[in-house]
Amino acid sequence: MAKPVVIVVGADKGGVGKTTVSRTLLDYFSANNVQTRAFDTESPRGTLKRFHPDITEIVDMTTTADQMKIFDTLSSGPSVTVIDVRAGLLSPALASLRDIGFLDAARSGQITFAVFHILGPSIASLDEIAETANFMTGAKYFLVKNFINDTQFFQWDQSTYNSYFHRIKDATDLTIPKLNEMAYEQVEVSSVPFLKFVANKLMNDDAANYSFVLRGYVRHWLANVWSEYDRIKLTDLVGAKSATRGEK
Amino acid sequence: MSSTPVYIICSPRPQVSKTLIARLLSEFLLLKNGDVISFDINLKEPSLVDYLPRITETADVIDTYGKMQLMDRVIINDGVAKVIDLGYHAFDEFFKMCDEIGLMKEALRRRVAPVILFVADTDRVSARGYDMLSRLIPPNALVVVDNEFVVRGELPPAMSRTRVLRCRALPVFLKTYIDRLNFSFTGYLRHEKDSSTELHQWIRRNYTTFRDLELSMLLQRS
Repeated sequence: MAKPVVIVVGADKGGVGKTTVSRTLLDYFSANNVQTRAFDTESPRGTLKRFHPDITEIVDMTTTADQMKIFDTLSSGPSVTVIDVRAGLLSPALASLRDIGFLDAARSGQITFAVFHILGPSIASLDEIAETANFMTGAKYFLVKNFINDTQFFQWDQSTYNSYFHRIKDATDLTIPKLNEMAYEQVEVSSVPFLKFVANKLMNDDAANYSFVLRGYVRHWLANVWSEYDRIKLTDLVGAKSATRGEK
Repeated sequence: MSSTPVYIICSPRPQVSKTLIARLLSEFLLLKNGDVISFDINLKEPSLVDYLPRITETADVIDTYGKMQLMDRVIINDGVAKVIDLGYHAFDEFFKMCDEIGLMKEALRRRVAPVILFVADTDRVSARGYDMLSRLIPPNALVVVDNEFVVRGELPPAMSRTRVLRCRALPVFLKTYIDRLNFSFTGYLRHEKDSSTELHQWIRRNYTTFRDLELSMLLQRS
């Protein structure tokens, strides 16, 4: 039986692209034939579920019942679990994981645990890194600089950034490039995974009529995002062999 | 089903006769096929739409909406050849977009055949533009137009690597004559009884060149 893998995507700040990154992860695993399930903590209405309804469940991570729903089923379902943590809930969620002994299990190697920490545009985001760092022993920690909405925030003073970044041992940083605004908006309106948009398909796999230009922008952008995931050897992390993705 | 050709006439330089080539090619395709759709992406140069208003649409690639309006029309295998007269100011943006949206691969899938007609000049901007295109466009889809009026017999050797179309220079008085907005190349061939005139032969030579290009592209794709 493969070791369970839990990937938490979160930030303490809203609007930094957590759900977008979660969506790219689910598309990436789908393209690499990795069985995945997802939990959307934007209870009661989840954005992630709108894009990946078949594999996503909405949960309230602050309740014990839903914590059980996620963590007591780790060994029974698909090997990879992606949790899109609602804004402001990352630190409390990590504290809960510590309290239920999950972080200890990760430390002892029973579970593979990774955190994708999406950074926001302000110095407050850097303070989050310091706060989150306390929970990261035994976890793979990825700092995600999200440029998707074209914010210029990463023109911080590099030494300030480094002083925070190096507080976490073995942290890896990732860059999500900018996606053309109209293309992003069209995928939002279409409410389909990025992969289906690129393949010009509706949610039910019927042929769609999306703009060739916008599909091209999404294809190009998704390839760049995935090359970042390839760079950090994400398929190795989840114990899968990298599939030949071909021309999706 | 055969592919639909899309001819993109381009140069990063102004005043190299892009619109003249686009006019000639559009009129040739209209004569040969009975149908053609031309797109004018010129805001700062003599404009194709002024010469051929019935078959020409204006377009821009300044924003995403303009790109969608243009490319979603162009990438259709409907059997109607397309001609794009790409102004020098739009050169970089257009090909950056082509690279980003994967135009050449998608065109292959959709049985659309882009042919890039790069109008050569001898300056550094043209050399850089050609270099960029030769990295982006497969050699069989990249054609250099050696316009004698511009290059004066000094086509840079680096630009001879791909197929070269030669366009002879016309005397200045004839150039002025064909630059009139109401001048039609096909109309001239039809109405000028004397086929020995220099202009008659010039038009026929260019039409023959386009016919040969079309044929060779057809053979490449088959």
